Amino acid sequence: MIEKTEILVCVGSGGVGKTTVAASLGVLAAQDGKRVLVLTIDPAKRLAQTLGIEGTKDITKVPNQNFKGELYASVIDHKKVFDDFVARAAKKSEAVKKIYNNKLYQQLSTNLSGSQEFTALEKLYSVYESKQFDLIILDTPPTKHALDFLQAPQRLSALFTEGVAKWFRDPASKKSGFLGKVLQTGTRQVLKVLETLTGSNFIHELGDFFINIEQWQEQLLKRTVDVHRMMTSPLTQFTLVTSFDQAKLKEAEFFSKEIRKGGYHLSAVVLNRVFPYWLNVDSSESQSSFQGIKKIYEEMRSYYLKKDRLYKSFESTIGKDVRVFRIPDLPHDISDIEGLKEIGKLLVEGEKK
Amino acid sequence: MKQEIHFVTGKGGVGKSVVAAALALKKSQEGKKVLLVELGDQSFYKDFFGLAQVGYQPVQLRPQLSIALWTGEQCLQEYARHLIKVETLAKLFFENAIMRAFINVAPGLPELAILGKVTSGPRKHGPPLPFDCLVVDAFATGHFIALMEAPKGMAQAVQFGPMGEQSRSIDACLRNEELSRYHIVSLAEELPLKESLELSERLNQEFGVHPELIMNKIIQVPVAAAELNEAAKENSDVGRFASYLYTQKTHQEEILNKIPPRMGKVQKLPLILEDQPWALVEKLAGMLS
Repeated sequence: MIEKTEILVCVGSGGVGKTTVAASLGVLAAQDGKRVLVLTIDPAKRLAQTLGIEGTKDITKVPNQNFKGELYASVIDHKKVFDDFVARAAKKSEAVKKIYNNKLYQQLSTNLSGSQEFTALEKLYSVYESKQFDLIILDTPPTKHALDFLQAPQRLSALFTEGVAKWFRDPASKKSGFLGKVLQTGTRQVLKVLETLTGSNFIHELGDFFINIEQWQEQLLKRTVDVHRMMTSPLTQFTLVTSFDQAKLKEAEFFSKEIRKGGYHLSAVVLNRVFPYWLNVDSSESQSSFQGIKKIYEEMRSYYLKKDRLYKSFESTIGKDVRVFRIPDLPHDISDIEGLKEIGKLLVEGEKK
Repeated sequence: MKQEIHFVTGKGGVGKSVVAAALALKKSQEGKKVLLVELGDQSFYKDFFGLAQVGYQPVQLRPQLSIALWTGEQCLQEYARHLIKVETLAKLFFENAIMRAFINVAPGLPELAILGKVTSGPRKHGPPLPFDCLVVDAFATGHFIALMEAPKGMAQAVQFGPMGEQSRSIDACLRNEELSRYHIVSLAEELPLKESLELSERLNQEFGVHPELIMNKIIQVPVAAAELNEAAKENSDVGRFASYLYTQKTHQEEILNKIPPRMGKVQKLPLILEDQPWALVEKLAGMLS
């Protein structure tokens, strides 16, 4: 999974253990002698906590490691990534300040869920460009629809190709404001609707926002193409992480098709926390003198065996070129580097041959 | 009857959708007309309940219980059409490539549109929503905070005009505990509980609301620790299972003890070994108080 890879992207729906899997893969690669960076975006800073780097936003060497290679981790600081991008993209320093001061920009760069997807890819690309690491592992944002983040740069750049800024630029007639004469009737009507819905105050902020970010256009379009090239390169591999119930598996089946359709390379599927470690799926023996415990055992066992049938049918939908790994549910929380090593080991052992 | 709004959130993977469905079922059994709302463009319940389709318009699941899936864009469209009234103008607005691109990335707009629709009943603003109770299977913790903060942020960014006014009235609705209630679903595990407690604290400090904590999938161990210990010595699958149950029991108790008393209402739901979705939801509904 990590041999001939420069970027490894962990995708999957929320709560399947993407962060833990991403960090364990980082440990495996570092044990293998690579210089690895694990990039995480999780707002709960799970990975940071697990790796003991909580509170640090920059690239930090993970403490207490003893690997052939080196393991680094970073928690993506959305606001900083966004601000850095703007500073680079906007040509005039005066404009940069104006953008920073725009209230809608402040919203966009701090609070909003959609912008996390953009910053994740932006951060990934800038680290990739720096060539500081042999392998970068990206733990993607916990979007409900796990592939949303891939479309984030395209969405942003669509705004510019459609020329929104032109709408709001009105150099000819200051008096009539944004609804100036230069605008066509259709456009004028659309803006009027927007004004009815939101008020002129909002339109003013919006106009200011678009005029100021217009200079991003070139940079953003170029970035979108570069990011897409990086993501579809054969050296970028996707790992789909999924777990548990039928609905999650259906979702995973859908993702695996979408990943391929998008021209990305899916090389592995990790079924996380699929069955408790005590369960021996192949054994039929259940002799015991403890009848009460035996009864609970039988109930749990039959519940998990039903699940096992679901996994098997799921695995048959995954292509032969994709490696499938199973990780059991452990009785303890993974909260340190030793735990990550343990998961890494289970990952290697749990491969379905 | 006053409309109630219930938001169900929690860390990803803790079972909040199933708990939300159980809560909706329970409210419907109490005689309320309930709408279970999913957010986003992928329906969990479609696969879970094996439904033909879940879309924007509510469809009935059970007597008194309907389900719908809302995206920000759809909520915004419906609201705009309600206000504009002229269909050709609305079409011009939404079918315009620039507006579409804008709506896709506009800061906070989808979140605001969703919350505008969710709170439209009590605010008596927008298209009518004929339900006594809404149960929203909301986003996971991080995105849930982004959702909650959208009206507040927008109200700050836009001081005057309808957008500012609407944002303030939505925000007021979210802070009113007679209208809006919050349920955070967690597991008896370190990280989900930590995330839940942090979210609860933040909601309390920033919005003055007091979420309920629902500890989900608690493993019931109706056997004494001594017996488990004894059985764990047995060299058999049951023996290994007994040792697992013992560890689980101790670990769960440790985690449950970490819930601070200021948390207020805490409910515990057992792990139910049931693979039939409706049977599972019914059992959970029966246990919710």
